[in-house]
Amino acid sequence: MNYALLVQGAPYSQQAAHSALRFAHALIVRGHTLGTVFFYHDGVYNASRLAAPPQDEPHLVEAWRQLHEDHGTSLLVCIAAALRRGIIDEREARRHGKEGYTLEAPFELTGLGQLIDVHTSHDRLVTFSP
Amino acid sequence: MLLHILNRSQSSSRVPLDTLRAMSGNDRLLLIEDGVYGAVGPLANVFAAIQGRVYALQEDLASRGLEDRRDPAIELVDMDGFVALTEQATQTVSWY
Repeated sequence: MNYALLVQGAPYSQQAAHSALRFAHALIVRGHTLGTVFFYHDGVYNASRLAAPPQDEPHLVEAWRQLHEDHGTSLLVCIAAALRRGIIDEREARRHGKEGYTLEAPFELTGLGQLIDVHTSHDRLVTFSP
Repeated sequence: MLLHILNRSQSSSRVPLDTLRAMSGNDRLLLIEDGVYGAVGPLANVFAAIQGRVYALQEDLASRGLEDRRDPAIELVDMDGFVALTEQATQTVSWY
């Protein structure tokens, strides 16, 4: 089956992102595909390229990126939720006159409408919220 | 059949009661994260009406030191079992 996950919890604040990541690994081990992870609400902080957690703790941003590299999982970030939290890519940073940027590939800023597409194009959508 | 995924316990939230009210037919309930507190002792009595269709995530019970205190009417599943439950359900509903 082709799975999608909706992650709405910030990393290290609540358990949601950790639960989602463990679920992601478990579904792949069972032979399923993880097509998409969609980050929404405070979940967009999972995409911050500047995250620098202590080395003996799980690096969530890196773990999501690894899923993309190993399994081709799309990492979609709701643009409306992200911009207002300072999660912006280089293009948006330029557009808004900001010096730095906090999001880079393989994470992609996308519209919320994309979540509807994800829901209809995947066999399962499982939500992890704080 | 829907799989309801609940991460709140009835000791601190009314969401579990909303979840129970929304469940119908042969829907199943999986307790995860802080939801597993609801799998312990007298709190678990609230799930009596849906006995046989309630599950708790083993690693969330273990990380809270509650594995031995789970009500035996609530079935234990690991992360692999969680995925299996989502395979068997047509859709999942997360309550939080």
